[in-house]
Amino acid sequence: MIFGSLTFLIGEAGRNIRRNGLMSLAALGTVTIALTVLGGTLWTTFRMSEFARSQPEKFNRIDVFLPPKAERSKAQDLLEKLQNKPEVKEVTLVTREEAWKMMEESQPVLTSALDENPLMDKLEVELKEASQVSQFAQSLRDKGEYPNIDKVLDAGEEVRNLINLSRVIRVIGGGLAVGLFIATLFIIHNTIRLTVFARKKEILIMQMVGATPWFIRLPLLLEGLFHGLMGGVIAGGLMLFAGHLVSQFVTSVHSPLSGEVPSLLSPATVFDIIAVTGAFLGILGSHLAIRRFLRQL
Amino acid sequence: MIDLKGVGVTYSNGWRALSNVQLKIDKGEFVFVVGTTGAGKSTLLKLLSREETATEGTVKVSGQDLSSLPLHDLPAFRRKIGIVFQDFGLLPNKTVYENVAFALQVTGASRQTIRRQVPYVLDLVAMSHRPDAFPNQLSGGEQQRVAIARALVNEPFLLLADEPTGNLDPETSLGIIQLLNHINLRGTTVIIATHDQAVVDFLQRRVIAFEQGGLVRDEVVGNYRATEAQEETA
Repeated sequence: MIFGSLTFLIGEAGRNIRRNGLMSLAALGTVTIALTVLGGTLWTTFRMSEFARSQPEKFNRIDVFLPPKAERSKAQDLLEKLQNKPEVKEVTLVTREEAWKMMEESQPVLTSALDENPLMDKLEVELKEASQVSQFAQSLRDKGEYPNIDKVLDAGEEVRNLINLSRVIRVIGGGLAVGLFIATLFIIHNTIRLTVFARKKEILIMQMVGATPWFIRLPLLLEGLFHGLMGGVIAGGLMLFAGHLVSQFVTSVHSPLSGEVPSLLSPATVFDIIAVTGAFLGILGSHLAIRRFLRQL
Repeated sequence: MIDLKGVGVTYSNGWRALSNVQLKIDKGEFVFVVGTTGAGKSTLLKLLSREETATEGTVKVSGQDLSSLPLHDLPAFRRKIGIVFQDFGLLPNKTVYENVAFALQVTGASRQTIRRQVPYVLDLVAMSHRPDAFPNQLSGGEQQRVAIARALVNEPFLLLADEPTGNLDPETSLGIIQLLNHINLRGTTVIIATHDQAVVDFLQRRVIAFEQGGLVRDEVVGNYRATEAQEETA
């Protein structure tokens, strides 16, 4: 009998959705838009934060050039000296011969036009912390301490900006997440409340023919679940599609900052999170609406 | 079966809908409740279906004191009574068959019971020819017949009807009242609150009259209006 009732109630929810077509469509549309805004904003914030956080990692390197045709032993001495610095993670010597060979492979037209190798020995200094890049690079520019260094290249200012940006994005993103979650819950709650309110008389009749509160509540909860889940699935699909387009655009732009930034969350996980959030908000919204409504009757 | 002792109802806004009502209705009776708008007819019916609770006195239906009826027992109580509304109260998104079946489905009745009972009551109210019609495809009289079928499908011991002919033309009204009379003759207690003088005078059954919340007349066989002799006595 319980199974029979459950089957009936699930069927009842389906019939209600079908027969209240326009209302269901309006509810589904509202939920989809609300979840797309919520998911889209959070996903964008999350990716921006990941991007900003990943960028300094690319800039924890300082390129140190020795004077043209400097003796190799000076390069070795400098390598050992830098290797012993506590800020330094690793130092790699790229000799001018190695650099020329790489250049020959990457830019054969240019190298064939040159009579001799104009490149300098270079030390690639990788630091432990990207935030130390600027200060450490400055110390290398001290000619008294490092007379054998011709030129130091770093991205100090950019790194500082990116680190700050990453912090700001995290703070704003956190605030937005909370605010938008509440706003989305409110929108979904209100939307479902309207569908419940439209059936005020119906619910009253159900009560008068002896329907238990759960008998009245369950189809409405299932409707809320349907609207939330379907809205979440559509919103998730829209977000992934938009994300794909943005990703295609970003990779097509040639910039030192471009390039694929791996995400902690796969597209499938993002889709699942939005769908589950939709389902959760749908059930919670309808539960709150029905609870308040049944109390009023 | 129905026993009201010193019953009063005062709403939160101070309106006194009923005062000191003493009333007994036996099993199988047919009772018209008459009176002007606001006299207390609907409040009496709402007390009997436990839509309202008495603020004074006791209301007993089948030995059950409705004031002390726990909320979780209310659905089970409502399944034992049938209610007919003035505006029919049919679920607009359900067909005739589904509207009637719904009253059984809420009780957890089996499919076999539903398949047996629904056609039976639809036949009883002469609506078996339109099971698939939606309420908006029916006339007022037909909708009321479906509402009566829904009220009957759980085989209630008591049928309450609040202005069942209020939205119907005189001819259809008489048809509905005859149907309710037929149901009463099968053993169901029927209580009808009405303004419709024609149907009360036509049937010549027990009449209870209310005025300003008080029970002012109770005749075993009566008309809508009191006779001059009764008015003089009053």
